[in-house]
Amino acid sequence: MADRQSPTPGEITIMAAGAVMIIFSFLHFAADRSAWGSHLFPIATLLPLYGVVMALQIALTKFASLNLPASVLGFTWEQVHLALGAMAALMALGWLVTDYGNKQIGMWFEILGGFALVVGAVLLQRERNTGAIG
Amino acid sequence: MDKLKLSTANLIIIVSGAVMLIASFLPFNKFSTGSFNVGGVHVGGTITYNAWSSHYFLIATIPALLGIVMAAQVAVVAFASGVRLPETVLGFTWNQIHLVFAFQATIMMLAFLIQNTSPLDKGIGLFLMLLAAIALLVGAVLRMQEQPTGAI
Repeated sequence: MADRQSPTPGEITIMAAGAVMIIFSFLHFAADRSAWGSHLFPIATLLPLYGVVMALQIALTKFASLNLPASVLGFTWEQVHLALGAMAALMALGWLVTDYGNKQIGMWFEILGGFALVVGAVLLQRERNTGAIG
Repeated sequence: MDKLKLSTANLIIIVSGAVMLIASFLPFNKFSTGSFNVGGVHVGGTITYNAWSSHYFLIATIPALLGIVMAAQVAVVAFASGVRLPETVLGFTWNQIHLVFAFQATIMMLAFLIQNTSPLDKGIGLFLMLLAAIALLVGAVLRMQEQPTGAI
């Protein structure tokens, strides 16, 4: 139970963003369609999926004491989070700029979640003293 | 002249990046209707949208931009003798950055391929961008193998 410490701000940010993104992915993204709806799936679904993957990795290792390999394809988990977070933020910027008709509440929360993921990933790098940032 | 010697992986990335850029200006989606003349006025035909068109920029342009950055990095290192890039960026090696960018471009292009765009048809630009993205991923994996890191 050594890992049952309080989650750090970076971990909380990622888990909260992931949870918000999956919930809001079922609300209206554009017009009357959700991110899982026809004409938007799967391009609009990528953002919540990235959030869920990141949040699950944190939650499972933090609360379920799941032992994952130290690295994946040469990437540490902190790097995986930073890479996924950066790509999520890029897609969030993409949706923010793209004139895709009427932006609905689902899209706004996906955009916010995408930016929150990269913030959480940066915080994670600092908290775990990877030396990559700050 | 050593500078002009490109590895297979880097050659694939440069060519794929160029193809990606060109393809992004070709029809991504198109809408076709039968065309006919009414009293000398041409009606109908095909309307095309590329990755830079309104309603597509920026979300459909991201894979092209990632490919351009990858090709530019390889070109700068190979041909710009006076330019030195840092070994790592935010803790990532360039090989890792290439892998992340290529993975993202491929995932997004696969998503665009699967997406239901009815009544619009998918255009040649989308298919070429998908092929270029896959080629970028192959190039990025080959780069990892050319400079063994034990990752792949």
